[in-house]
Amino acid sequence: MLNRRKFIKLSAATAAASVAMNGTLSQARELPVFGGKDFSPTTGKERKAVPSACLNCVTRCPNIVYVEDGRIVKIEGQPKSIRSEGKMCAKGQGGVNQSNDPDRILYPMKRVGKRGEGKWKRVSWDDALDEVAGRLKTLRDAGTPEKFMFHYGRMKSSTSKLVKTNFLGAYGTKTIGNHTSICEGGKWTAQELTWGKHYDTWDFDNTRYVLNFGANPLEAGTNHIPTSHRLIRALTTREVKMVTIDVRLSNTAAKSQEWLPVRPGGDLAVALAMCNVVMSEDLHKGRGEEFLKFCKVTDTAEDTLENKVKALKDNFAQYTPEWATQHSDVSASAIRRIAREFATTYPACLISYRGAVAHYNGNDTERAIQTLAAITGNIDNPGGRCLAVGPKWKYPKAKGMPKGRKLKIVDGPKGAAAIPSHHMSHNVLKMIKDGSAGRPDIYMSYMYTAVYANGDVQENIDVLKDESLIPFSVNINPFYDESAALADLILPEPPYTERWDWDDMVSPVQIPEYYIRQPAIPPMGETRDFGTVACQLAERIGIELPFKTKEEFVRMSCAKTPAVKAVGGFEYMKKHGVYHDPKAKPKYHSYRKELKAKDYEKATVILDEATGTYWDWKKAKHKSAEAAQKKGYTHSKGAYKAYVGQRIGDKVYKGFKPDKLNKSGYFEIYSGLMKEKGYNPLPTWYSIPEHEKMSDNDMILTTFKVATQIHSRSQNCKYLTELYHDNPAWINPVDAQRRGIMEGDEIKVKSEVGEITIKARVTPAVIPGVIAISHHCGHWQYGRYASGNKAPMAHDDDPDLKRMWWKGNHGAHPNWIIPNAPDPINGQLRFMDTVVQVIKI
Amino acid sequence: MKDPATQVSRRGLMKNLIATDRPKRYAMVIDTRRCIGCQACTVACKSENDVPLGESRSWVETIEKGNFPDVGRSFLPRLCNQCEKPGCVSVCPTGATYTRKEDGVVAINKEICIGCKYCILACPYGVRYLDPKTGSVDKCDFCLHRIEKGVVPACVNTCQGAARIFGDINDPSSAAAKMLETNSVSVLRHEMGTEPMVFYIGADHSDERYAERTGVYVRVETHRRQQKRV
Repeated sequence: MLNRRKFIKLSAATAAASVAMNGTLSQARELPVFGGKDFSPTTGKERKAVPSACLNCVTRCPNIVYVEDGRIVKIEGQPKSIRSEGKMCAKGQGGVNQSNDPDRILYPMKRVGKRGEGKWKRVSWDDALDEVAGRLKTLRDAGTPEKFMFHYGRMKSSTSKLVKTNFLGAYGTKTIGNHTSICEGGKWTAQELTWGKHYDTWDFDNTRYVLNFGANPLEAGTNHIPTSHRLIRALTTREVKMVTIDVRLSNTAAKSQEWLPVRPGGDLAVALAMCNVVMSEDLHKGRGEEFLKFCKVTDTAEDTLENKVKALKDNFAQYTPEWATQHSDVSASAIRRIAREFATTYPACLISYRGAVAHYNGNDTERAIQTLAAITGNIDNPGGRCLAVGPKWKYPKAKGMPKGRKLKIVDGPKGAAAIPSHHMSHNVLKMIKDGSAGRPDIYMSYMYTAVYANGDVQENIDVLKDESLIPFSVNINPFYDESAALADLILPEPPYTERWDWDDMVSPVQIPEYYIRQPAIPPMGETRDFGTVACQLAERIGIELPFKTKEEFVRMSCAKTPAVKAVGGFEYMKKHGVYHDPKAKPKYHSYRKELKAKDYEKATVILDEATGTYWDWKKAKHKSAEAAQKKGYTHSKGAYKAYVGQRIGDKVYKGFKPDKLNKSGYFEIYSGLMKEKGYNPLPTWYSIPEHEKMSDNDMILTTFKVATQIHSRSQNCKYLTELYHDNPAWINPVDAQRRGIMEGDEIKVKSEVGEITIKARVTPAVIPGVIAISHHCGHWQYGRYASGNKAPMAHDDDPDLKRMWWKGNHGAHPNWIIPNAPDPINGQLRFMDTVVQVIKI
Repeated sequence: MKDPATQVSRRGLMKNLIATDRPKRYAMVIDTRRCIGCQACTVACKSENDVPLGESRSWVETIEKGNFPDVGRSFLPRLCNQCEKPGCVSVCPTGATYTRKEDGVVAINKEICIGCKYCILACPYGVRYLDPKTGSVDKCDFCLHRIEKGVVPACVNTCQGAARIFGDINDPSSAAAKMLETNSVSVLRHEMGTEPMVFYIGADHSDERYAERTGVYVRVETHRRQQKRV
């Protein structure tokens, strides 16, 4: 125990740390309750606390929703959650406004004027469902279920399993569009190419160094709160060093010890050069070398360490730090110094996101980053970059699913992307316009605004408005967004605070957490959970589903899922909201697990000599072992689903299990799949063609997200939009001066697809040559708080409407000038590298 | 860049507090090194207390400073300072604004506030507003309705960096008292003599005047309707 003198002697940082580390405990000693309880400030009465889960962003943190007099008044983090440890970000807290938004859609609405004219009439659910079901039945009876297109945005977990797996599966359409390619699809594909799975988690609790390529975990990101609060703890309590490579000073960069400003797309050059430093200085020796045993580095299934090292040295030799400086504007000395620090501090966590990946060359940027982590031994280890761990829910499934038919419109034009394993949703409307692969008769979008969220907004509007291209358009939405405004029928869904779900987001502590979402109040007006609506449509069409409502689906899932069932199933989850096995150990190094002979010596399991992969030919839907051998693992469609293990030497390991792509069980630094598509199998430099042709006066547009807004679905939250409603474009003083632009000036930003007018924010927090515009703003629908425009049939009962002091000041949306151009390998929309001209008005 | 004028003498502070005869002295210590400007506290406060648009009891200011590429950004959470010598209490004609004997929190009795706004003018920190719903002046009161029931203030609950340490600094074993004992702290506008009970560790107090003095770029943003820092 420390005596007082010793305690005072501790450095300030350590003292602060000791308090914060035990923050919850220390607080609890003084005020007994840290969270989970709330009281009315006016009456003093305890507020009803409903354990539920956020869905304002994809992170989906467990939360507690507080209700007073039947109204949702407050949201806090769930203290029992191992993921969030009771924390909740501004966006999650702002979810309180979703339920009480006066512009909420409360009734099914059918358009009465021209499409997009904004004239609507209220219809009954029976009429709405009869109309949709009637049209769906007609298509299905005609043997063309694929002419029903379903396009979704925020659809996860139980909603996805009910709607996509069950309803759409039983109906028989596979014309299903997602939104991943405008989100993080590029990163996912690159990860699938290397280690198989699409998600990574970052073990900040155990790391000693963080190197960040274009991620902004302190403001946004796929697993925001679970990672960000741990990152702050690491940076302060344990004084872990963090270095951020980014085109702009994000709050994450600001909290890093070093910010290295990089030219857009130059991230790849820096990552390659860091690999060069590690290999040329033999810093891979030790842990990196050990890990190479599990890596494929050459075209030989089993190569010697010597050959692997030589191949890496040869590949990276050309990418010297001096070379990288020319492509990145990051100094060679910084690249060398950071690469050495990273490689010699173990464990070190290499993180990356859209800032690095949403470029023309994003696929190899992510592959180079994966390689850097691999050759320093920082893959799936405590303190490193880990394979994601999430809960495994079981759920009911309809019987007798048809094979399913599909219009080939979700992967973009043929050849636009070589390996679009998460599709090209930003090209769906373009493909419908083109028509050569067919067009849907019914376009149904769910929690997705194709108009606003994709690039080239004008084209999206033109297509969605055109009844000759899309004859019938249904939008499922709690709010009147830009796409709902162009629909024929709107089916109102309650916001997530009034819905049922089980949920399954990945855990930053490598232990799965099960949690549910439950309605804090009954759905307002006539809003209906779309999971339930899908059941009602199915019934009308004559499709049998083994459940009738979303609630029933969740209840049945709780009964089917062993871990949840064991503690009391649905009733337990309703009471507690979250569950994790208190005895579970964090999962690391799962690839090292040796398989038992009985696992790979089964009658249907064979070895693919070319890759060293054991696979189950029956599961891969081959007729015989011979037929499977003949076709081979790599070229058998969907063979990844039949993966068993990876032979390395005289052992068979679990390896890096593939998902979506037929890669081997190795960590593939060398990608045979890339080679087959005509690309260099090892990480390689690609310059961005449009940047090569830039004139002196051109700039590069990059986009970003802030801590107080979600991409497109939070601007109706008044507490968030009060904080962030205007989004002036960041421009370096050097560029501003050249163009005569002063702070606050109106400027025009033009690209090949359009132009926008926006205010200038002249700041040294962005690299010269780049103009940075956030997403989030510039709505022209989505209700009064977002755009100033009232939704049809909206209410006026929120007294704050009169106090909305930012009216008429709603910012500008960069997607009007970003073309729907893909990364040519994975199809990711290139949100970070559009060439623009910037002119003072 | 810390302004030395804002540094608080720790010995003087503790002596002063021990001299008071209150059973408790609630205070907050904010470690700005742990603040990432996420604004979760701002929104938590807004919804917890149903604060009307245009007003704020709690907010986070951003200070962006430096010349490219040596530029940084820091954050300064703001709230009522719960001063030992509050200007707002002495100007209140009805006694609606008062210092609680039991814990030193500066509170408002909304029943007797006449909305004259003297206190709004008297507060050097711009933390007070007239609530259009009640006609009474309002401000941060450390979430009295929570702390009296043993629950930490809403902003403390939500702070993901655990930057906010709330507690009774008359109790030397409290986390807040220990933070004060072991850290160099500063307060806002020390020169006003209000003796704030919100203390900052590692805060950057630069403002536009600093920019004028040094020629270095400084941008201070309040993220509230009141765009100029008070």
